Amino acid sequence: MKCKRCKAQAVVALPSHNTAFCEECFYLFFTRQVETAIRRQKMFGPDDRILVALSGGKDSLTLMLELALQGYDVTGLHIDLGIGESSIQARAKVEAFCRKHSLNLRVLETASVGLAMPDVKKYIKRPVCSVCGKVKRYYFNKVAREEGFDVLATGHNLDDEAARLFANTLRWDAAYLSDQGPSLPAAEGFVRKVKPLYRLTEFETANYAFLKGIEIHSAPCPYSQGASFTNHKQLLGELEHRSPGSKFAFYDGFLRNGRPAFQLLEEEQGDELAPCRECGSPTSTELCGVCRVRMALSEKKREAGELA
Amino acid sequence: MIHVRLEPEAKDIELHRIKTVLGLLNRLELRPTMALVVRDGCLLTPDRRLYNNDHVLVRTVTSAG
Ligand code: SF4
Ligand SMILES: [Zn+2]
Ligand SMILES: [Zn+2]
Repeated sequence: MKCKRCKAQAVVALPSHNTAFCEECFYLFFTRQVETAIRRQKMFGPDDRILVALSGGKDSLTLMLELALQGYDVTGLHIDLGIGESSIQARAKVEAFCRKHSLNLRVLETASVGLAMPDVKKYIKRPVCSVCGKVKRYYFNKVAREEGFDVLATGHNLDDEAARLFANTLRWDAAYLSDQGPSLPAAEGFVRKVKPLYRLTEFETANYAFLKGIEIHSAPCPYSQGASFTNHKQLLGELEHRSPGSKFAFYDGFLRNGRPAFQLLEEEQGDELAPCRECGSPTSTELCGVCRVRMALSEKKREAGELA
Repeated sequence: MIHVRLEPEAKDIELHRIKTVLGLLNRLELRPTMALVVRDGCLLTPDRRLYNNDHVLVRTVTSAG
């Protein structure tokens, strides 16, 4: 296969776009997709300070590098969950990556705010992954707001977004369908959130990460129940294989035609939010979910004699 | 025969009668956009030929967690 642009030997074939590229032309394609995402969804401008959520996976590191190469003002935030060897490795990868590319990095240890994940797993009855997800979203938002960032960027790609949409649609979950999207405006207590890789597939980000020599964190979290939405991703992958372009059409069609309707519905029926009495974060209950977990945890640990 | 390293499983296997990257992916029951195929550090598109004694890396792309 030859590169569609320059006729050199291709290294990446993209059936969804009916094309193939050499390394240099693939970067050009990738950069244009990110530029289009930023522009069409009005994500941010050259003067905005961007906080990038860095898990250590290929998507988050790819996003960080690409935005830096495009000249944006980016700072990474890694949340160290304190989950044994898996967290140590993830953090080391993120730190090495930021050092190598001279990128700004903050690290927040959840243990330092009374939320080490092994304690959550041990003492809290709810599924650890749902608490963990909540804690991560909470601190990404909190750090972004407290340190004056204009926007929080995450590495979600088209496969993540389409699989989540598919799952939400199978349940007709109106609340989720009303606020799923690549660009969520700032609201009372919430920083603006954007997903600049939403036009790119997991395959495309994997190729980019490989070609750029990004070392990715691959030791799975010991609490993982397997990749989220894996079945949905496989089903959509099969659909995409038979009908190239359908994955993006599904997601993009939702943004254009589906989401506005769900947003109207949610405006009529959605929960009112008010500041949490402990931390001030917006919540539909008196005490936000993260404060509730933190309090329950310190109580359980005190009962168990682990806290003075 | 070709030598195949599977990632992220970190497993090594050997396969016979495989002539192209597409043939390799089919044998592994992978669609072309589900994995990267690498030989000597270079990415290969599905139409590329594979040769006897090639060492290739197959890395599936779906991220965990
Ligand atoms: S697998 Fe669950 S506990 Fe582990 S990092 Fe992911 S969400 Fe957190
Ligand atoms: Zn080219
Ligand atoms: Zn709170």
